[in-house]
Amino acid sequence: MGASYQTVGWNRQKKIYDWLIFSFCVVYLTIFIVLTATFNPDYTFETVLIRSTSTLALILLHVILSIGPLTRINKKFLPLLYNRRHLGVTMFCIILVHGAFSILQFHSLGNVNPFVSLFTSNTHFGSLADFPFQALGFFALSIFFLMAITSHDFWLHNLSPKVWKTLHMFVYLAYFLVVMHVMLGVIQYETNPVFIIIMAIGATILITLHLIAGISEVKTDTIRHASFLSRDDTLNGFVRVCDVNDIIEDRAKMFCLENERIAVFKTAGKLFAVSNVCKHQNGPLGEGKVLDGCITCPWHGYQYLPHNGQSPPPFKEKIATYDVKLVGTDVWLNPLPYPEGTERLGAVIQIENVKLKIENVKGEEQV
Amino acid sequence: MMHSLRRTLVRSVHYSTKIHFQNMVRGLRKRHLQIWVALAILIPIGVVSAVIVRPELPKSKLLQPAATPALPVILKSFDKDDYTISIRGNSDTSMLQLQWINKKALTYPTATIYEDTTNTNNISNALLIGRIEARGIYRFSLSKNLVRNDYHFIVYDFIHKKVIETITF
Repeated sequence: MGASYQTVGWNRQKKIYDWLIFSFCVVYLTIFIVLTATFNPDYTFETVLIRSTSTLALILLHVILSIGPLTRINKKFLPLLYNRRHLGVTMFCIILVHGAFSILQFHSLGNVNPFVSLFTSNTHFGSLADFPFQALGFFALSIFFLMAITSHDFWLHNLSPKVWKTLHMFVYLAYFLVVMHVMLGVIQYETNPVFIIIMAIGATILITLHLIAGISEVKTDTIRHASFLSRDDTLNGFVRVCDVNDIIEDRAKMFCLENERIAVFKTAGKLFAVSNVCKHQNGPLGEGKVLDGCITCPWHGYQYLPHNGQSPPPFKEKIATYDVKLVGTDVWLNPLPYPEGTERLGAVIQIENVKLKIENVKGEEQV
Repeated sequence: MMHSLRRTLVRSVHYSTKIHFQNMVRGLRKRHLQIWVALAILIPIGVVSAVIVRPELPKSKLLQPAATPALPVILKSFDKDDYTISIRGNSDTSMLQLQWINKKALTYPTATIYEDTTNTNNISNALLIGRIEARGIYRFSLSKNLVRNDYHFIVYDFIHKKVIETITF
C-alpha cells in the first residue's frame, strides 16, 4: 500500500518482533553451544555449529508453520502472523549456515566439487537406511531460498498472487523433506530416542493444528444460508443472511455465498458488503474492524473504503463490492459482485429497524 | 494490536500495474487441507520407516576398549628378555590380575595364556586366561582362587596347536 518502494517498512511492532526473534536465536545458540561444550567436549566447533543451527531452524520452522492455523483457530495469535515473513527469512539464514558448514565439513576436503560430491558420494537411492539424506536437505534449502528471496511484496505483485502463493505453498513439501532429512540422517546414528520423540511430537502438533483449522474452514465454506425465501421483484437475487442486530457496530459478519466469502460491515448507520478477501495476502477482511472510516485487514493493516472497496488515496488496491438491503431487520445480500472499486450506496439502518427488534423481544418477554 | 495497526499504513510497495486477482482463495483453503491430509499420512509412514531401518549400533563407542588399569600390588613377577609376567592384586587380594608385558614382537602369530593348575603342561586341563599378540601391556583378570605360592602358565599357539613355552614362578 506504500507510495514508494521500501526494502522493509519498519515500524515499532516490526522492530519488537524482530528483536524477539534475534534474541531468541542468540540465546538458543549460546545455550546449545555451552551445553555441548560441557557434556560433549570432544565435538568439534563445526559439528556444534551444524547441530545448533539445524535444531534452531527446525524449531523456527515448526513455529512458522503453526502460526497460520493458530490464527484461524484463535485470533489472539494474529500478532504472530503480522511479521511471519521475517521469521521465515531468519529461519532461512540459519539453515543456510547449517547447509554451508555441512557441505564444508563433509564434501569440501576432496578433489571433487562439493556440490557434485553432495549428489554423487552416496547413490544408494534404493536403500532407506543408506538413503542420501543430504540431498533431501539440499532440496529443502533450495525451496526456502526461493521463498526467502520472494518474500517481499514486490514479488507478490510482480509474480501475481496466484504464482506467488503457489511458490510459497512449496513450504509444505520443504517441511516433508526436512523431516525425512532428519529421520534418515542424524536419527540413524543417534542412540537416544528422545530425538525421535521430539520430531514426532512436532509433526503431530503441526498436522493436528492444520487439520483442525482446515476442516473448520472448509466446513464454513460449505454452509449455505437458507436462501431465496422470497423471489419478488424488489428482492430478486438477494439472499437473507442475518438480522441487522447480529452485526456489531464497526465490525462485520461473514457469509459464504456462491463462490466466496462476503463481509457485511455495519458502520456510520449503514450496511456495506465487500469481498472478504484482502488484496494483499488474502487476509479475512470480515475479521477486521472499521478504523477511521476504513475497513482494516486484521493481518497487515491494509485498508479499504466501505462504500466503494477502494483503498484510501494514495493507495490503489480495490476489492469487489456487493449490494445489500435491509428489510425490516433482515439483511439481504446479493451474491453477484460488482467490479472492484465500484461504489455502492449501502443499506441505511433506520432507527425503526432496531426498535422493531427491541419491541418484539419485549413483547415475547411479557408473554 | 488493532490500534497499532492503524499506525502501519505506510507499506513497502506500490505498483500501478493492474493486478488481475483470480478468486482462488476458496480453492486455496481446500488445497491446504488436501496437502495436510497427505502429510498426515506420509510423515508418519516416513518416520516409522526410518525408525525401523535404523542400524544396530555397537554399545561401545570406542573402537577398542580402554586398557584395564593395573592393580596396585605386585604379588609375584618373572622377567625375561622377551616379556615380563606379573601377578598383581589389590591390598586385600580380593582381586587378582595377570599382567603380561610384551617387550618384543611375538615370533608366533598369536598366543594364548593358560593357567596350568595341575602342572601337567596339558592345556586340556588348564584354565584359559587370555590372548596376546603385538608388543604392549596386557592385563587379564584372574579368579581370586588363583592366589598361591607359585604359578604355572602355558603359552600356547592355537593356530599351529603347539605349546610355545611353559612358565613357572
